Amino acid sequence: MYNDIIIDNFSDPRNVGDLESADHELEIGNPVCGDRIKVQLSVTDNLINKAVFRAWGCATSVATANIFCRSIEGQTATEIAQRQPQEIEAMLGELEPSQHHCLHILSELHEKLTAQLNVGAA
Amino acid sequence: MDQQHLSGYFDYNATTPISNEVAESMIPAITQFANPSSSNRYSMLSKKAITETRNNVAQLLNTDANKVFFTSGGSEANNWAIKGVLFKHTAKPGHIITTEIEHASVLDTVNYCVSHFGFEVTYLKPNEHGVINIADVKQALRDDTQLITIMYANNETGVLQPIPAISALAKEHNIPLHVDAVQFVGKRRVDVESLNVDYLSLSAHKFYGPKGIGCLYIKDAKSIIPLIHGGGQELSMRSGTENLVAVIGMSKAAQEASLHVEQWDQDNWACKQHMMTLLKSAPIQIKFNGTTAYQDALSNTLNISIKGIRGEALAARMEIIHSYIISIGSACSNNKTKNISHVLKAMSMDEDDIQSSIRVSFGRFTSLEDVEKFVTTLVAEVQRLLAISEG
Repeated sequence: MYNDIIIDNFSDPRNVGDLESADHELEIGNPVCGDRIKVQLSVTDNLINKAVFRAWGCATSVATANIFCRSIEGQTATEIAQRQPQEIEAMLGELEPSQHHCLHILSELHEKLTAQLNVGAA
Repeated sequence: MDQQHLSGYFDYNATTPISNEVAESMIPAITQFANPSSSNRYSMLSKKAITETRNNVAQLLNTDANKVFFTSGGSEANNWAIKGVLFKHTAKPGHIITTEIEHASVLDTVNYCVSHFGFEVTYLKPNEHGVINIADVKQALRDDTQLITIMYANNETGVLQPIPAISALAKEHNIPLHVDAVQFVGKRRVDVESLNVDYLSLSAHKFYGPKGIGCLYIKDAKSIIPLIHGGGQELSMRSGTENLVAVIGMSKAAQEASLHVEQWDQDNWACKQHMMTLLKSAPIQIKFNGTTAYQDALSNTLNISIKGIRGEALAARMEIIHSYIISIGSACSNNKTKNISHVLKAMSMDEDDIQSSIRVSFGRFTSLEDVEKFVTTLVAEVQRLLAISEG
């Protein structure tokens, strides 16, 4: 039902939290399933130092928020913008059909980050 | 699975664990190969088992054995009752009364009859407590109403429908009544003769029997079209060589339920009361969906909305981290369609409450200690999810 990547990131999501003074905030919501995710970033010279999130949603969407935050920490916005769609899709592992909306969530998080940090995709 | 390791199982309405006694009764039947319909000396034993099972199920329902017809389970029994009655009227299709909260095997079958044969249907809506108002049934009656099909106990909320009153009304207007009692049988005592219903469905795996076997009670076999032709089994109403292993399993399950149903109900009621007390005093915001009074709902079922969380996420944490099995009112949706409980929706619940709902159902292998541990874990996991969403 849930793959190992989702289980790991949902059971013990290590990037949950708030930043006292975030440099950027990304917020997304899915009008159909109602999932809501807020990501806060600490950024220095295009480098993501810290990424934390709050999420209300299904297990897979909470895991998705954690996977996203973990994957961008220590990366520059330029590097993140260069990620290919297949690479982003692979980050969540194999999903059940009902969990596919989380691929959209993950893509949207990438798009919002790229737009906010003002870097174009490769 | 060993019954001693079922303390984390809280999804008895989905299916019950097979009892040891039932399993033991089925093992010798695996090699009992003789066709019950043959007349050789080997077949006599098989035939005897069939007869005993019919008697045991009849006793469970307080009826005569010749009114008990084996099916592959509840869905088949529901399909048969609805199609079997309505197909007699395809030349002049009339009107059906059902509810918005039926099982899919009723709703989809009714819908099939409507779309393929031109029947008309009234879907009754329950009140906010999950109960169908008898006055609404009365108001829905038409001169051409050909069937009323209403469930006894709802699988998601456990709420009971006023079947005795509906039955009296149906009799007064001479309209056949089918009752889907799949969730009711084995949880409360059923007396089909005093209920005076025409058709009643049950399924063995809901009362500690095997899957793939159930029954349709038929008061008058002439009132319904046979389901499967050719072979002569089940008084030529449902032909086909019987699944003897499953039939024998149902026999033991029916026997056990006849003997113990009141005790099981009392035990369940003690668990339910304990769980409600613990949940009410827990530091989380909960709402019980549907009436919870003993006389109005099954003793083994609680449907709860928990403010601030998603039921799906809670169920996932309960299972992944603690091996608890519960059920949810709203599954994951894709980007285009919502997948929320039609039952809770029909009860006019708002979407947040539906998405935060879980169903907890327990049974004869659940103890008060299991309930306490379950609630402690549930509360901790709700608080963890709230911490993830709110901080």
